[in-house]
Amino acid sequence: MIRFEEVSKSYSRGSSGVSDISFEIGRGEFVFLIGTSGSGKTTLMKLMNREIKPDTGSIWVAGKNLVTMPSWKVPYFRRNIGVIFQDFRLLPNKSVFQNVAFALEVIGKPRKYIHQQVPQILKLVGLDGKSERYPDQLSGGEQQRVAIARAFVNRPLILLADEPTGNLDPDTSWGVMNLLERINRTGTAVVMATHDAGIVDSMRRRVIEIDRGMLHRDQTRGVYGIGV
Amino acid sequence: MSVGYFVKETSINLWRNRLMSLAAIFTVAISLSLVGSALLIKQGVATATSEWQGNVQLLVFLQPNISKPELKAVEAELHSLSTVKGYSYVPRAQAYSDFRRLLANQPDLVNAVPESAVPTFFRVSLVNPAEAPAVGAIFKGQPGVDTVNDNFSAIHTILTISNVSQTVILGIALVLLVSAAILILNVIRVAIFSRRREVSVMRLVGATNVFIQVPFMLEGLIQGLLGSLIAAGVVVAVKELISYSIQHFSIHLLDGFVLTSHDLFFTLVVIVLIGMLVGTVGSTVAVRRFLSA
Repeated sequence: MIRFEEVSKSYSRGSSGVSDISFEIGRGEFVFLIGTSGSGKTTLMKLMNREIKPDTGSIWVAGKNLVTMPSWKVPYFRRNIGVIFQDFRLLPNKSVFQNVAFALEVIGKPRKYIHQQVPQILKLVGLDGKSERYPDQLSGGEQQRVAIARAFVNRPLILLADEPTGNLDPDTSWGVMNLLERINRTGTAVVMATHDAGIVDSMRRRVIEIDRGMLHRDQTRGVYGIGV
Repeated sequence: MSVGYFVKETSINLWRNRLMSLAAIFTVAISLSLVGSALLIKQGVATATSEWQGNVQLLVFLQPNISKPELKAVEAELHSLSTVKGYSYVPRAQAYSDFRRLLANQPDLVNAVPESAVPTFFRVSLVNPAEAPAVGAIFKGQPGVDTVNDNFSAIHTILTISNVSQTVILGIALVLLVSAAILILNVIRVAIFSRRREVSVMRLVGATNVFIQVPFMLEGLIQGLLGSLIAAGVVVAVKELISYSIQHFSIHLLDGFVLTSHDLFFTLVVIVLIGMLVGTVGSTVAVRRFLSA
């Protein structure tokens, strides 16, 4: 599903680069991407979503070669990838329903399809009954659920989650993790960058650790700390 | 792709930035009003010029004591010149009545001049009005000829003034048009900035560039179009004002200054096209620069 081969990306300043990264993530896998701030996790996420291109190496995602992909094809590629962030990135002037519907609207889905899909997905993330609320009327956990609904409404093959629980308290974080796990069970691969040791340790999923831009550890059923 | 979506997004953009949009629209309107008026005047002047130039005449005044052979010689000369289109001899009786008619509001002068003191003359029209001074020089000093008058220099002055003022008006209009395009560019930039969240989400979920860009381009196009429509109204008003003034104040020099509805229509079409062009150029540049992937 996702294959990195000797991927390197360096920045002259600002973001932290990565070097010589190789790994493969299969269909329907659940993977934690861990590492300290500035280790290059976000760079990897951006590479997977073709927000940036690597300097060297090759990247295959959902059967597409991201290095040779022409830029006009990128939007169509992204329709196979859902993305969520620490800061939710909801549109404050749109209701819950409209936020989710927007994702379908802008890829040209018909109205009828939208009105059928959105309530269904809101029910899945546990927000039925709140579709007319606005983001500032929701708790952090609820906002992240809206973001997940928006990312998942297209039934993507891969869900990229960049520290999705970073702004949430532990209880709420567990709610979000349960949701991600349910999404994963539908066959969607989930790649989650996180700092949350508690979550990583108790879920016992595959762990890829990045340290100063290098692949430090790739462990199935891993934990956050080393040597357990 | 749904037309409804683009209409909705474009109107939201226009409404959110309504003050800036208005500024852009009015700059387009003002500059295109100038362009339109200048174009209209140019067309009027073109019609009037041919009228005026058809009126360029040489008046070859003869001495009162001119002899028959001298008169014949002048006439033969006029007849032989290829630059002369036509000529007519104005005898004393008619010259005197013209004189009385033209100076009717100065009875003292008219009464003081006896008919015998009024010179006879040839009224000469030319193939090419610009040759008036050259042709005049041939007759000047010929025996029996008193003086030669032409009205070429007066008309030449009028044309020069109108040419210079049209160039100035068009120059100002051009500068304003460029500022209108820059204003539209800036309005679109603000629109893009104020919608950067939407735009980033659109990129995230895989909206195509066309889909992202079209509302902003439409916004610029509509601003240019609205501005040009206002300008079209102004130009129609200017046309009516000119026609009314010429008729009402019977400015005879401007009799030839006729603006046909064809001229007007042409001008309006040009204005609207320029307006749409300015809007499109402004928004395209903004989209290219501030919405690049």
